[in-house]
Order: sequence, then C-alpha cells, then structure tokens
Amino acid sequence: MSALFSRKADGRLKLALGLAGAAVALALGGAMFYWRSPFGTGQFHPVVQPIQFDHRHHVRDDQIDCRYCHASVERAPSAGIPATEVCLSCHSQIWNKSPLLDRVRASWFEGRPIRWLRIHRLPDFVYFNHAIHVNKGVGCVECHGRVDRMAAVEQVQPLNMGWCLDCHRNPAPRLRPIEEITSTTWRPPADRAAFGAELMKRYSVHARVSCTTCHR
Amino acid sequence: MPPLGLPIYGQPPLAAGDRRAPDAWRSLAERAGQADPAGRPPDGDAPAPASFGRRSFLQVLSASAALAGLAACKPPRERVVSYVRRPPEVTPSLPSYYATALPAGGYGVGVVVESHEGRPTKVEGNPAHPSSLGGAGLPELASPLELYDPARIAGFRRGGRPLAWSALLDELSEVAARLAQDGGARLRVLAEPTSSPAVAALRADLRARFPGSRLVAWAPVSEDAAREGTRLAFGRPLDVEHRLATADVVLSLDADFLATEGDHLRLAREFAARRVDAAAMNRLYAAEATYTVTGGAADHRLRLRASEILGFGRAVAAALASAHGLAALAPLGAAAGGAQARLAAAVAADLARARGRGLVLAGQRQPAAAHALAAAMNDALGNAGATVLYREPVLLDRSSGPEGLAALAAEIRAGGVDTLVITAWNPVYTAPAELELGALLRRVPNVVYLAAREDETTAVAGAVVAAAHPLESWGDLRARDGTASVVQPLIAPLVASATELDLLAAFLDRGQVGAWALVREGWRRRTGDEGFDRRWDRWLADGVVAGTAAPPVAPPLDGAAIAAALAAAPPPVAGVEAIFAPDDKVLDGRLGENAWLQELPHPVSKLTWDNAALLSPATAARLGLETGALATLRLHGREVLAPVLVQPGHADEAVTLPLGYGRRVAGAVATGAGFDAYALRRGAAPWIDGGLEIAPTGARRALAQTQGHFTMDGRALALALPVAALPGALAELEERRGPLPSILPEVDYSGEPYRWGMAIDLSRCIGCGACALACQAENNIPVVGRSEVLNSREMHWLRVDRYYEGPAEEPASVSQPLACVHCESAPCEYVCPVNATVHSDEGLNEMVYNRCVGTRYCSNNCPYKVRRFNYLDYHTVHAPQLAMLQNPDVTVRARGVMEKCSYCVQRIERARIGARVAGGTIGGDQVVSACQQACPAEAIVFGNLADPASRVARLAGGERRYDLLHELGTRPRTGYLARLRNPNPDLA
Repeated sequence: MSALFSRKADGRLKLALGLAGAAVALALGGAMFYWRSPFGTGQFHPVVQPIQFDHRHHVRDDQIDCRYCHASVERAPSAGIPATEVCLSCHSQIWNKSPLLDRVRASWFEGRPIRWLRIHRLPDFVYFNHAIHVNKGVGCVECHGRVDRMAAVEQVQPLNMGWCLDCHRNPAPRLRPIEEITSTTWRPPADRAAFGAELMKRYSVHARVSCTTCHR
Repeated sequence: MPPLGLPIYGQPPLAAGDRRAPDAWRSLAERAGQADPAGRPPDGDAPAPASFGRRSFLQVLSASAALAGLAACKPPRERVVSYVRRPPEVTPSLPSYYATALPAGGYGVGVVVESHEGRPTKVEGNPAHPSSLGGAGLPELASPLELYDPARIAGFRRGGRPLAWSALLDELSEVAARLAQDGGARLRVLAEPTSSPAVAALRADLRARFPGSRLVAWAPVSEDAAREGTRLAFGRPLDVEHRLATADVVLSLDADFLATEGDHLRLAREFAARRVDAAAMNRLYAAEATYTVTGGAADHRLRLRASEILGFGRAVAAALASAHGLAALAPLGAAAGGAQARLAAAVAADLARARGRGLVLAGQRQPAAAHALAAAMNDALGNAGATVLYREPVLLDRSSGPEGLAALAAEIRAGGVDTLVITAWNPVYTAPAELELGALLRRVPNVVYLAAREDETTAVAGAVVAAAHPLESWGDLRARDGTASVVQPLIAPLVASATELDLLAAFLDRGQVGAWALVREGWRRRTGDEGFDRRWDRWLADGVVAGTAAPPVAPPLDGAAIAAALAAAPPPVAGVEAIFAPDDKVLDGRLGENAWLQELPHPVSKLTWDNAALLSPATAARLGLETGALATLRLHGREVLAPVLVQPGHADEAVTLPLGYGRRVAGAVATGAGFDAYALRRGAAPWIDGGLEIAPTGARRALAQTQGHFTMDGRALALALPVAALPGALAELEERRGPLPSILPEVDYSGEPYRWGMAIDLSRCIGCGACALACQAENNIPVVGRSEVLNSREMHWLRVDRYYEGPAEEPASVSQPLACVHCESAPCEYVCPVNATVHSDEGLNEMVYNRCVGTRYCSNNCPYKVRRFNYLDYHTVHAPQLAMLQNPDVTVRARGVMEKCSYCVQRIERARIGARVAGGTIGGDQVVSACQQACPAEAIVFGNLADPASRVARLAGGERRYDLLHELGTRPRTGYLARLRNPNPDLA
C-alpha cells in the first residue's frame, strides 16, 4: 500500500502556507503602502474648480497677499473661503465683462453661492486651527506648497497624521518669521535648524502632541 | 447597483445605448434631474434586469466586490460653499454670542446664545440678567432642540387649507372688520399671562378697537394664589421677591423655590452661597408632601400632606406669638398637637432668633391664606424689606386661574363667542377636566390658534398659525423684578411662522408691520427719540434694559383680613389626597416634545420618559402597590390608568400626580409617555384635591429609571455631615484624599503649566440636573429613547446620582453629579487594547474615537461607571434638520465607539489657542466647562490645579475635599467637597 502522502507533500504544504502568509503580508503591506502613496492621500491631483481661478496669476503676477481673500486665517480655525463680494471688489472694475467670470457675476446677482471643490480635506474628527499655526510661524507654503505656481490648486502634502506629527514633534525646521508668513519666495537662512530654534523661542512655540490637541 | 455594462452570462448583452459613461444623458429633462417623458427614472439607475438569476447575481457581486475597494478610495469631493456677501459679524468657524431672553411663566429669563455661522447651538445664562445671574434652567438649556424640532408646524392653515401669511392676514382682517361692527362683543382672546410691554401695547389697542371683547388669561401652573395672598394681606395684589443672601433661617411651606417655582435660578445661587461656610450657614426647613429638589436641599424636611401644611404654618405662627412675643401673629396662629407642636416650636424659636434675617415662603400650590400668613409672619419678624420685597405685579394679568376659563366656557356654551384667538399653550389639554373644552371649541365658528406643534387644540381649531420659536422671534419680556429684556432672534424662522405679536397685530390690520417694528417702536415711544438707536443697540448687546427694575413698595399689612382668610381656609382634605404638580422637566407639558428633557432623569425619582403617581412606601404597602404597578386612579368620577412609583419621603395618604404627560394628540416624542393628570384636575381644586381612590389593576409598566440603587451600602460615596461634626471628621476626610502607595509608575505633573481639574461642592449642589442637560447640549450627546434607557444604555456623560440616607419613610438625600473624574492613574487606560483612551500631559483622560474598536473593556474596568457606549447609530437616524443643532467643535460619535466626559476639551483648546495667539497663558479660572456654566448653584468649578490662585485649586485644597472611591488609588482629578448640613440642635 502506497503512502497516502508523497514525500513532497510536506514541502508543498509549507510552500502553500508560506505563499498564503506572503499573500496576506503583501495585501496588508500593499494597502498600507497605497494609503500612504499620493494615490491614497490624494496628492498632486490638480482640481478643476467650477470657476477657473488661477492662483498663479493672482498670487505671483498680481502679488495679492493670501490674506486678502483668506481673511480669517490669523484669527479663526478656518482660513476662510472668499465670499463672492471679495472677487467683485476687484472684478467689478477690471475684467468685468470677461466670460470667465460669468459665474461669479451670476452668483452675485442671483445671490447664489459658488460651490467650490474642497482640496484639503481633513477627517471630521480632526480639528485643525489655522490661526495658531500662522501666528507661531508656520507659513502657508509649508502645507499648501507653491500655490503661486499652480494653475489649478493641488494638495502637495499627504495631510496624514504621521505628517502632522513630524512637524509637531520637531517644528523648528518649518518655522519662518511671521512677517514672511504668506510669502511664497522666502528662503530660509543656511542653518535653518538654529534659526528655527531661535524662532521657537521668539514665538514661544510649544507644539503639542496630545490626542485632544486635534481630536475632540 | 449602477449598470456596469459587463456582459452577463446567460443574458443578452446590454444595448449600446445603455452602456454609457456616467456623464451621459439622454434628454434635457434627464440631465436636469427630472423624470423624462418616457417615464424613466431620473439619471442613474437603469431598470432592473428582467431576470436576475444566481449566476448573474454572483457575477455582479464579484465584480462589485472587486470594484468596491477602488470606488471607496475616491469619495466624491466635498463642496465648499462660500458666502455671496459675508455678514460682517460672522467669521466662519468662530462662534458668536447674542443676548436674548426666553419666556418662563410669562417672565423673561436672560440668556446668552452661542451661534455658529448663524445656527444657534447652545444656550447659557446671562450673568447680567437678574433672574439668571449666569445660571440656566432646564427649559432654557433644552430650547435649541425645540427650535430645530422637525415636528414643528410649518405655515398657516384655515379649515385644513394651507394659506400664505398674506392670505391669512387678509382673512383675519375681514374677520376683524366684521367683529368691529359690534365692538368686538363676540371676540375673545385666550392668552397666557405675560410681562411683555409690546404685548401690553397691542392688547390696549385691541381693547380700543374691540371694546366689547375680553381677554382671558389661562395658565395651568400659575402664581395666582401668591398674588391673592398679597391682596389679602396688603389690599392689592403684589409680587413677592425673596432674597436668600441674607436669610439665615428659611421656612418653606410647600415651596419648591430651588427648582420649579419663582425666581429659582437666582434663589438657588443665593441659597448655595450660604451653604459653604460652616460659620455662616443658613438653615432650611421645608414642609412638603412630594419629595422635591428643595426638600432634598433642606436641613429639616417636614413630611406633611399638602393640605396640612397651612396648619403647620399656623402652628409656627402660634408658637411665635405665644413664646416669642409676636402678638400680631396671635390671631393667625392655631396651635398643633403632637410631634408637629415640637417641630413648630423649634422652627419658631429659630425664626425668632433670626429676626430680619429669616424668611417664610409659601408654595404656589398652597391657598392664598398660606401666602397671606407667610406675609404676616415675615412682617412680624421684621423680614419684610430685608429678605422679602414687594412690588407692583410685573405680569399684565393679575389672575390666570380656572375661574376665567370657566367663565369663557360658559360664554361659549351660551353661543356668545364668534371668534376665539388662542395664544395660550394647548388649553384643550390643560383646561380643568369638567369644562370639556375640546368639545366646546368645536362650537366656536372661528378658532384661531397659535401653536408650534400639533396637539389636542390644533385638532379642534379651525385656523392654525405656526408659532415662531423665541430664538427666531422679536419681542420683549420683563424679569420678575421688572427688568426688561429685548428678545432678539438668532436665526430667521426655519418654517413660515408668526409670533403672538404678529397674530394680535393682524386683528388691528397691522399684521405686515412685523414684530421687530412693533417692539422697537414701542420702546422708542416709551424712552424718546433722543439717542434711541444707540440705546437699542446697547440693550441688545447687554440683554437687559438697564434701570427698568420696578421699585419695591412697603404697604401696610391688614391683619384682620388675613385672620378672616385663615378662618375660611379649607381644612385638610378627607381621604387620600391628590396633589397636582408641574413636572420638573416638561413643566405643564409644553416641553413634552423635547427629547432631551424626556430622557433627562427626574431630579428626585430618576425617572425618564414617563411620569408616575408618586406615593409613600407605607401608602403603597397599604394599597398593595409597588413601583411599576399600574393602578386606576379615580377622583370625583373621573379616572385614569397610571403607573405607580414608590417615592421614599412622600407624605402618607397622599399621591402626587405630575402634570404634562399622557398626551392624546402629540408628536413622536410625547406620545406614549406617562399618564394624563389633567384628566383628574378640577377647576375647583386645581392643586390639592381629596378623596382619591386607587385600585391596583395587576398590570405593570416598566419605568425607565436610571438609578436602580438608591443607597450607598455603607460606602462613603456622597458624603454629608452636620456642621457640628465637621471638626471631628477632618481627619477622616484627610484620609480620603491624596496619593496612595502604588506599584504603578509615578507620573510627574509638577512641571506642567496646566493641570486641569474639577471640584464639585456637594454642599452647593441641589441636584436639579441642569449640568447633565448642558453637557448633552454642548457635547452632541444623543438621545436613545425609553427602551434603550430600560437597557441601561443612556448616553449622558454626566449623571446626577441621588442617594437616600435614613429611614425609607423619611430619608434625607444627597445629590452627586458624576462624570469622568479623569483619574491620574486611570483603570480604563490599562485595559484598552488599541490605546484609544490615553492620558495627556495636562492630566486629561482622553478618549480617541477614531482609535476605538468598541471592546468596552474600559467601561468594565471603570469603577465610576461613567463611560458610555454607542450601541446603535444614534445620530444618523435623526431628521437632517437636527444636524444644525450639533456643536461643530465636538466630534459626532458613530456606532461602536466608547465616549465619556472630556472636561470640555474643546473649550480648553479654544482658550489655549486664543491665549497663545495673543501671546499669553490661560487663566486659572478662564476655562469654564458646560456643566459649570449652567449650574445655577455654582456647585461645579473647573480650572487649572497648577495655579494656586484658581478657584478650583483653592477648593481642591479645602478641608472638605475628598476623592470618590479614594481607596482604589485612582487619584481622580475631580474632587468632591463633602456636603454640610445645618440641623437644628433642638431637634436632634
């Protein structure tokens, strides 16, 4: 009577188990990799808005400060999406017949708000506050990138918790003088770490890492 | 299932036209989202395949499973909707605060309302308002939920036909013109008593246009007896203002002045302030039948049937006259026998010792003679002018009792009423049972009813006018001391609705003027044009019109009239006494549709979602009843079926029947809750009636009580001790606080600038439950409903435990608010497998919802049992409108997640960011938790323990401080201060 299992059965079983384990590890690892990759985080994906608003033109060419439109950034959690009347504060005078601005004028005259698409989205259980960051020397560029080079704005940072914590654990290299907070072209001095350490003292920066700093 | 366009085995391939890109469309109508003429559904779903066999099902299932992962990666991008014109006062993501006033029994209670982008979310007391002083009561705290109630009536209707406001105005204008022909002889208005100057002006104009009309004021819970008492005593009706700040000895004759009666928010604050200093404590004697919040706070609770309390008052008066030389009281007193005489003598001696610093109050349930007697005693003791002030009445209506309603019913029966305008809440339900007002109203040709929700009266009213909520109305109201407040809206009306002012103005052809103009022009008339706009803005910002308090008056007392009234006062009732009482939560029933209030445990009985007939253990035993038994209550030929609740400390041979439940026509919340005590209430005896018959039925109704265990079983949980025993107890209290030896690693907080902590002074706490409700409103805590409360799944982060001490017949009680105590050595944290509950550097025990997987180990390991688990998805089941109510600064928790008190960390972080942006630090008392802010008695103090000057640090270092379950070594950050009692040594 021949053996029920061949000599190779053990090896095959081990191989199969190993492959199964590898598949599970690969699936988990792949998923983790995927969620951290720009595909998962939604980075580098220019978003076409209902109105072709070009930050390149307004920020770089016209040199309009971020805070002209995002007016509450220094005192509120939200930086603020400009109301239609902010657009028309200029565009009632210039380009006031441009077809590109049809929808802006329609919004104004019909009293219908513009429905922009959100680019930087944090989960509902995250409470981010712009005011404290810009008042402690975290420039707009640190999170939002070179908006002055974006025809359509895209998310350049992963916005995941690890990325937040990197900076909260070591904010010094990301700090800049508050006078330069909205500048897109400010260059840090050569020894950024030392400069940052000095800024931390100057602005009394205490980046917190308790859960309830962001999750409430 | 969207069409995949995949070939499905065994079925013909889809037609080319059906295999389309998501953005394809077939007709303009479809593109616009309308159904196309061919009857296809608008955009999206293709019709289901004719046959959907197993194979095709599996094929589709596998395909969708394969695609599901990908589809989930990319949810549709969220829209960000900007303003067209941003209102200058609104900064999105920053709340704004507005002062206004909410009505309470016709008076105004000043509040400050938090508004997020135009949505009112939270009501706080207004510190500048004399009736609030910063505290808030249950009705005020619960009012935002009323505002967003999806069951509110929207719009206007007449004869079942919906009408626009302008069309309704036209019709009312016609009616008014017709009525004016005979001077309004057939016009009647049924209103609630109010203090509003704007309503007063409109009523005067109505009288001018319709001299033959009559206004009937009706309030099922009124203070008529108090005004009638002052009329007996002083010859004219007056308002009584009590002042507890200087009152050393207080005798309450059935007055629940700390929770449901009078200026209770201010009185609770003044009372509590005199309970903390052992050397300057007041002493409260409360004679009452029902166990009330005031009885729980009393040093001596005298358990008497309600109809015997006047007799006790007279016994005290007799003792004051005979033993303390107050001859003026001799004709009013009547000596009692037995134990009452001893009590009366002790109370009288105490009152006589504290002349000018004592106070006698009578409750709204007591007859006018009792109020007159209280006035006479205060006068004789020299308390008048010191602890008691009298004022000309602030309410426009001197009387709002059943007599006026009975006269109106007689007129209707005689056919003398053509048009009845009802602005009072639900009179068909609240009217005395014998009037049968519902049937009568059907005989009135024109009934115009101002109502917020469908109820017993909308069912019989021909015209129904949706009532605007006070948070979306203009108006004005006076506080009890006469101080006026302008009521300003926080939000445009959510539904087409009108205020009482709009409706009354409609009968003057001024319905289009609007409440804003009516109120504002009235104040302009009264105060003059000069600088009016600036004054008006000031009033709106402050929430009070400065300098409008009514001056006190000091009229002479008429002793003979009081003696005559006392002689004519009703004797104690025969048989079992029926006591009608407004409910602590839903009042006369008007708040019955408020789910927050329905689910809030009753301050004493801890009952939710129901009322019950309350009776004493002895009476229950005699009748063979126990808690939850259904009994038939029969009173003068009318009967109701009611569940019974055995209430320790209740007077024997008396049954308390809380009003406001058992609605016949109501919305989803109030329907099915409790029994209708109004069905037994007679106009002749609206408060105390005799001859109640109780017959057990053998059936039961499970009562959803949140505290099943009422004693501490000898453990020191809520500590209460007499003042005299405090020095001897200090050593034991010392042992009950501070660190214990531990094998766990020591955490060093010494370097932290902030160590958050809380101190709860049980000596101040009256147990009203405002803290629990404020917490619910602030922290987006869901309502779970009666059946889930029966499963012990209520979600309140903060509960108020109430423990009885002493014999079941006459127990004392202690209330103890308990939320997460934020242990420095927290048992919950060791057992969480996913680190979802962790400690912050500042000592907060943090709950991280997004990590929680719902093992509930933490809750099992928590010795305080303050963690709450979301067994069901409580938030998404609600109407979308209720999402407007949520506090955007607090996460809305999903199913399967544990939650608990966070020490209002959103308020800490807001204060921190504000302080850090300004370059400063958070003040030790700067962060105020929601429970602390609402508490009328200032029993809860939150703050920074690391700041030795902060109030919380001083309280935590006090001699009365102890830690709850100290022996477990959890080192809680919330400390309790043992309650002091101040019993009369003569009664020991």
